[in-house]
Amino acid sequence: MIRRPNQTRSIILLVAPAFVFVLVFFILPLLFLLSQSVLPEDGGFTLAGYVDFFESRVSRIVYLRTLKLGLIVTGISVLMSYPAAFLLARMPPRRRSFLMLLVILPLMTNAVARTFAWLIILGKRGMINQTLLALGLVETPVRFMYTETAIVLGLTQLFLPLMVLPLVSAMENIPNDVLEAAQSLGANRLTTFLRIVVPLSSDGLVLGATLVFTGSVTAFVTPAILGGSRLLLMSTLLRQKSVTIFDQQAAAVVAVVMILTTLAVNLLLRVGRVRQA
Amino acid sequence: MVSRWMYISLVILYGFLVGPFIIIFMASFGANANLAFPPQGFTLDWFANVFERSQFIDSFWVSLRLGLLSTIVSLVMGMPVAYALTRFQFAAAGLVETVFSAPILVPGLVIGFAMLQFYVRLGDLHVMTVLFIGHTAILFPYSVRVISASLRNLDPNVEDAAISLGANRLRGFLLVVLPNMQAGIAAAFVLGFITSFNNVPVSLFLSGPGVTTLPVAMFSYLEYHFDPTIGALSTLLVIFTIALVQTAERLLGLSQFV
Repeated sequence: MIRRPNQTRSIILLVAPAFVFVLVFFILPLLFLLSQSVLPEDGGFTLAGYVDFFESRVSRIVYLRTLKLGLIVTGISVLMSYPAAFLLARMPPRRRSFLMLLVILPLMTNAVARTFAWLIILGKRGMINQTLLALGLVETPVRFMYTETAIVLGLTQLFLPLMVLPLVSAMENIPNDVLEAAQSLGANRLTTFLRIVVPLSSDGLVLGATLVFTGSVTAFVTPAILGGSRLLLMSTLLRQKSVTIFDQQAAAVVAVVMILTTLAVNLLLRVGRVRQA
Repeated sequence: MVSRWMYISLVILYGFLVGPFIIIFMASFGANANLAFPPQGFTLDWFANVFERSQFIDSFWVSLRLGLLSTIVSLVMGMPVAYALTRFQFAAAGLVETVFSAPILVPGLVIGFAMLQFYVRLGDLHVMTVLFIGHTAILFPYSVRVISASLRNLDPNVEDAAISLGANRLRGFLLVVLPNMQAGIAAAFVLGFITSFNNVPVSLFLSGPGVTTLPVAMFSYLEYHFDPTIGALSTLLVIFTIALVQTAERLLGLSQFV
C-alpha cells in the first residue's frame, strides 16, 4: 500500500458524499422517530408512550406473539436446513450449484408473490381443505387463514434460504478427513454429527438464526396477508397505529421497540461469537 | 455419514422452497376465480387482467425506474467508500463500516415510517424523490459490501505499479482497478436492483397517490381482490427475474460472487 501525507484528505473526500447521504436521509429520520416517541405535541418530555405500550394488554400480547413466532420459525428452519445443508455441502459441484440456485431464486422474488401461494394452499377452498374434505376427514372447511400456523408457514418459506446459505458455506469448510477420523475412532453417525459437524458449523448456524429471527420479527407482508388485522404482529400493529388509528406517537413507540429488539438480538449474538472465538 | 433421513429432509426442504412456485404457476392458468385448488379448466384471462390494469403497468415503470436509479446512485457513492475501506487504514474505519451496515439492521417498515414522518410531514417532497432516497439508503450496505469484496480480491500491487509509473490515484483507479472489477460491479448491480425492485416495507408508507411500486400495488390488490391475477403476475415476475439473472450470468459470470 502506498502511503501519502494527504491520506486523510483523500479518505474524507471518498467517504463524505455517501456518509452525508446516510446521515441526512437515514440517521436523521430515525432520530426524529426516536424524539417523536418521547416528545408529545404539546411540548415536554414523556415516556408515557412506552408505559402505555407495555401496560396495554393488546400490545404486550402482540409483542410476545411476535417473539414467539420468530423463535418457532427459527427453530423449524434449523431443523429443516441442517441435515439438508450437510448433504448439499458434500455434493458434486454441478448438482450442488443447480440446487443452490433453487435456494437463491425464491430470495429474488417479492414477498407478495411468495405469500400468495399460501392463500391457495390454506384458503377455505384451498389445497389442504379440498384434500381433507375429499378424504372425509372433516365435514366443513377448517379455518387455516388468520392463524399463527399460517403465519409460521409463510414466514418459514420466506426465510428458509437465509438459513440454508450460511449453513452450507460453513459445512463446506469441514474437511472430510475429520469426519472419517471420528468414525474410524468408533463414533457412530449421530455422535459424529452432534460432536463434530454441529460445533464446526456453529458460525453458520448463528448467522442463519440471526437472519431468520430478525427477518421474522420484522416482516410485514406475510403477517399482513396471512394474519391480517385479526392476528397482529409488531409490524402490522405499527401500520395499524399509524394508518388506521392515526396515533403517530404510539406508532413511533412500536417502531422503536422493533429497532431495539433487532439490535439486541444482533448484539447478543455478536458478543456470543466473540466470546466463543 | 450420509444417511437416508438426510435425503428425506432434502426433499422436504425443496418441496417447501419450490412447491409454492409450482402452485402459483398452476393457479395462474386456472379458470376458477376464487382460488380453489386444484384449478379447473384453462384460461389466460388472469394474464390479460394484469396488462389491462393500469395500476400494475404504471407501478412496473415506477419500480423499474426506481430500481435503476437508486442502484446506480448507491453504487456510484458506495464505490469510493469501499475503495477507502480496502485501500487505506484509518481509525474511523470501524465507524464508517457500522454506519453503512446500519440500514440492514433497521426493519424496512420502520425506515419507511420514519422517512414518511420526517420528509412528507416536514417538507413538501415529491413521492418519487422520497422513494428514491429510501431505496438508495437501504442499498448502500449491499453496494459497499460487494464492491469491497471485489476490491479485496484485486492485488493492490497492480494499481501501485500504475501509480509508481506516473498515474495519479484517480487515473490508476479508472484505468486499472475499474476494468478489473466489472463482474463485482455487475453482481452488486443485480443484487441492488432486485432488492429495490422487490421491496415492500420501505415503499409501503412512502408510496403516495398516483405513485406506487409494483410490489406495493400487488399487496394493495390482494387486500381487496381474491383471484389468481396476482398468481399470473408472480409467474411473469419469476420469468423476468430468471431472465435477468441468466443474462447477467452469461455476460459476466456472476456465480463466482454469489
